[in-house]
Amino acid sequence: MSALHFDTLVWHWPIAIYLFLAGASAGAMFFAVLLKHFVLKHNAYQSGFVQAACIVAPVAVMAGLGILVLDLTKPFDFWKILVFYNPKSVMSMGVLILLIYQVFMFMWIGLLFRKPIDAWCESRFPIVLKFTAWLSRFEATITGLLVIFSLALGAYTGFLLSALPGYPMLKNPVLPLLFLASGLSSGAASSLLGGVLLNANPNAKEVHFIHKVEIPLILVEIVLIFTFFMGLVLSGGQSKFAAFNAIGYGFWGWIFWIGIVGLGLSGPLAMNLFMTATSKRKWAYVAGTACLSLIGVLLLRNFILYTGQMTVV
Amino acid sequence: MENSKRRFLKGTCALLAGASGATLLATVSASNEAKADPSVKYALIHDETKCIGCKACEVACRETNHVPEGVARLKIEQTGPYGEYPNQFYHFSRKSCQHCEDAPCVNVCPTGAAFIDKETGIVSVDAWKCVGCQYCIAACPYKIRFINPVTHAADKCDFCRETNLAQGKQPACVAACPTKALVFGNLKDPTSQVVQVLKANPTQRAKVDLGTRPKLFRIVAKSGEVAI
Ligand code: SF4
Ligand code: SF4
Ligand code: SF4
Repeated sequence: MSALHFDTLVWHWPIAIYLFLAGASAGAMFFAVLLKHFVLKHNAYQSGFVQAACIVAPVAVMAGLGILVLDLTKPFDFWKILVFYNPKSVMSMGVLILLIYQVFMFMWIGLLFRKPIDAWCESRFPIVLKFTAWLSRFEATITGLLVIFSLALGAYTGFLLSALPGYPMLKNPVLPLLFLASGLSSGAASSLLGGVLLNANPNAKEVHFIHKVEIPLILVEIVLIFTFFMGLVLSGGQSKFAAFNAIGYGFWGWIFWIGIVGLGLSGPLAMNLFMTATSKRKWAYVAGTACLSLIGVLLLRNFILYTGQMTVV
Repeated sequence: MENSKRRFLKGTCALLAGASGATLLATVSASNEAKADPSVKYALIHDETKCIGCKACEVACRETNHVPEGVARLKIEQTGPYGEYPNQFYHFSRKSCQHCEDAPCVNVCPTGAAFIDKETGIVSVDAWKCVGCQYCIAACPYKIRFINPVTHAADKCDFCRETNLAQGKQPACVAACPTKALVFGNLKDPTSQVVQVLKANPTQRAKVDLGTRPKLFRIVAKSGEVAI
């Protein structure tokens, strides 16, 4: 059996990329809200990191949707997903979450940049000012719902796979939590990377804050991965077989131990601890750590998707 | 701030209440559906002790349902030979849709293109509604679904629902079988042959522990293999 082509493989890497992008978008929005409310308050829109998150989130979620549509065997019929709904289907509910999430995302971003938008529109389109004023009355509600929907979107990327009863490794209640946690950390990483690329100060208080949240987040991820595989091994039978097949010797075993556990989790954890302890936050450190996290999360999505489909009940 | 917090809380509560109300409604209507008691529920038995592996069923299915080359709704899988010459034998088992009562393919399909026909209990695909996301193919624990290369929609055995059954005939495989190894009929009718055979023979269904409640039964032939 080859690592990338086997009989029971139905969903290929485009789905992993879709799951990655949806998770990163949700995570970026989540951290943008946190940064605004706990660190920056009113002038949040001037922060390069928040700006980066506001670019990453919409681009990632739309690119993800685009990949999902292109991956259909009938891409021109994709509108049927938007017209017909099946309340029992995780994918159907996920698409709904994705759409509502985008609405709140754009409203929140609009409110975030209200000052510059208002200033720009004042003489040109005064009507816009009325709209933003009206929208700002619901700012708290929009923010709250955005947080709820971004968490839902992050978890959905896991539920999508855990709803597949034929694959014992995927039918696992820990998977949504694991994907939520790793989605959040990919969102944090992409905001950091985007921020420093936009020439924001790598030693800014936003970075301090994100690092403070990221360290426990990575620890939680490690615990979740451990629980994930421990649960499989203790279930016995095909679940146990699937677990050992995935993390044992072979292509995916290397990906798991070197790529995910080593580069994706231990690397950023060590770097974050180092940067927090020494207060040395250089451009290269911040960017490098963020890249490692992103690679780790992308590998994790592919790893779970492929090895999950290798073993059937 | 106090005010906006309160508003946020109110909004969230309303949303949660609305969401749980909607789920409740969905469950209630789902349980109503389950109560509706159709008088027909089709099932199929493959008697492996009678099957000679001639594959006439495969050919008949392909012709009747215009299944393109390269894909199949029905496969007879052969294992063996077992035993010592001259007492050698093969084992044949049927691989096709099990028409699950609680069908994973139907549960995951985002558009409802994969559906259970309420009148007959047949699990089927509406090729027009299907967008080809392949979620159902991944979800089916029996791995018998495929993308039809002509329609680009998901496809599988539907007990000839649109062809032979619609014309009042038996499914193509059943009609073609020379040894009468396939028995098709209505589980809800106590006089039907399918019920008689089920009552008279020990039968098995695949992967029942998944809770899928399949309606493809098999009368198991000796397998010639000791597997632990
Ligand atoms: S066997 Fe597969 S395709 Fe057939 S009803 Fe069950 S889950 Fe659906
Ligand atoms: S491939 Fe078609 S039938 Fe299968 S889940 Fe997707 S839309 Fe439904
Ligand atoms: S036609 Fe009947 S005997 Fe021949 S392979 Fe099919 S089930 Fe077996």
